[in-house]
Amino acid sequence: MNVGPTRGGQPDASKARGLVGAPTTEAESSVVDIRYGQVGLVHVRVRTTDPGKLLDDLTGRVAAAPHFFRRTAVCLELSSLETPATVPEVQSVVDALRRAGMLAVGLAGEPDAVGGLSMALNLPILSSYRTPTRPVPVVQPVEAPTPTPAPASASSPEGHVPAQIHQQPVRSGQRVYGRNRDLIVTSAVGAGAEVMADGCLHVYGSLRGRAMAGAHGETSARIFCQEFYAELISIAGIFRVFETIPSELAGKPVQAWLNGEDLRLARIG
Amino acid sequence: MAETIVVTSGKGGVGKTTTSASIAVGLAQRGKRVAVIDFDIGLRNLDLIMGCERRVVYDFVNVIQGDCHLKQALIKDKRIETLFVLAASQTRDKDALTSDGVKRVLGELAAEGFDYIICDSPAGIEKGAHLAMYFADRAVVVVNPEVSSVRDSDRILGLLASRTQRAEQGNGGVKEHLLLTRYSPRRVASGEMMSIDDVKDILGLDVVGVVPESPDVLQASNAGVPVILNDNSDAARAYEDAVARLLGEDVPFRFIEEPKKGFLARLFGR
Repeated sequence: MNVGPTRGGQPDASKARGLVGAPTTEAESSVVDIRYGQVGLVHVRVRTTDPGKLLDDLTGRVAAAPHFFRRTAVCLELSSLETPATVPEVQSVVDALRRAGMLAVGLAGEPDAVGGLSMALNLPILSSYRTPTRPVPVVQPVEAPTPTPAPASASSPEGHVPAQIHQQPVRSGQRVYGRNRDLIVTSAVGAGAEVMADGCLHVYGSLRGRAMAGAHGETSARIFCQEFYAELISIAGIFRVFETIPSELAGKPVQAWLNGEDLRLARIG
Repeated sequence: MAETIVVTSGKGGVGKTTTSASIAVGLAQRGKRVAVIDFDIGLRNLDLIMGCERRVVYDFVNVIQGDCHLKQALIKDKRIETLFVLAASQTRDKDALTSDGVKRVLGELAAEGFDYIICDSPAGIEKGAHLAMYFADRAVVVVNPEVSSVRDSDRILGLLASRTQRAEQGNGGVKEHLLLTRYSPRRVASGEMMSIDDVKDILGLDVVGVVPESPDVLQASNAGVPVILNDNSDAARAYEDAVARLLGEDVPFRFIEEPKKGFLARLFGR
């Protein structure tokens, strides 16, 4: 079971805009506009078609980030199954996903592999996310070594996904999510605010709210903050609530990482 | 060019209306043309604090719904020539406010040549509060030095940074100021109350004014005279300082230290 985000449709935003076919003037009189859109899509790779096992696994993950999976559109990938799935089996997987809150909107894979399932289940085939659709830049920018040499995330085996940088304070009630990447907040995260990333999370300010790294199960993700006052820290769904902040960590620069199933925290420096 | 300033807080009872009234008076005393609008539809208070409650004929909702002209609803202050009040409606509910209506009224006030439009927000984060802040250029976030008020202010600051016209248009966002009210240096010293620095740290904003806890505030509300007009009040001086800072002046903070007790006071206790 692997849950990882991918991008659906054309990755090149500049090409993806604009109307197909009709010029703008005609479009205004038309009742249908057809455009290329671009949406992020969560990718669900299943290793079994047993709905019970899937639900057991999924409910735990969904509980770790309930809002991000509520009625989330997902692309279903079946290539990791040991034997090719039958139509009823895939239907039971789709139903299990729905019970966990996710809506399957398509199948990943090549047309000759999943064409029959696609027709039978009325689900479109979305191109396999392992196929790099974006040209990999020839010259890679020189990077400072990251504290955790994270294994390339599922969605971009070769390409480099730049971190998302958020410069405003994250206030109570706000939520910032670094989808499929690291998130760097150069300001404070207030109590009751939520910062989340599929990769690592850096907060160069006080962290008083909730911080979740490895939101899609990346266990090597880490959380770093300048002043630790967090309410909750979670990495890959393993979390710790801080009803009282340990005095040796309060207000100090802290990092959090996973050691097996164990969520560790320590002062930096 | 009119500047729209919203006075908001999230939490109720922290002194938004008192602050709106005193800032409006303070700006008008300096010769600015000021209109102050009560957005708390259904719970009108501003007219009481301004002492014009018996002169309300038409209100903000009447103007929005086209029952009267803006000029008919603007109540001229008895004390200061350049100050006008637009009262909230007592009999309607907050749904009577519409985004288009608020925008039109603010536009008409600007066309009338007002320098400042002060929007007195209701508590909470619902429609009235949203519309009060939506068109603002600046925000004065009123906060009491205690945790629930600070938390609510953080929430409001988040909304100011995302759900306002300036934020949506991306032209620099709303300029935010913190104003602490009910500050008691004695209780800060004894650890019962958060200090100015605590609040500044948590909210990450500078403070435009610190108004000390004072019985003059309640007395002023009851008398319908904004507290800033009280010649013998620390709270009034603190509001004057806040107005000066809003206008860009650099004024040192007063009334933030516990007054030194004299020898006799120490000898005989408080």
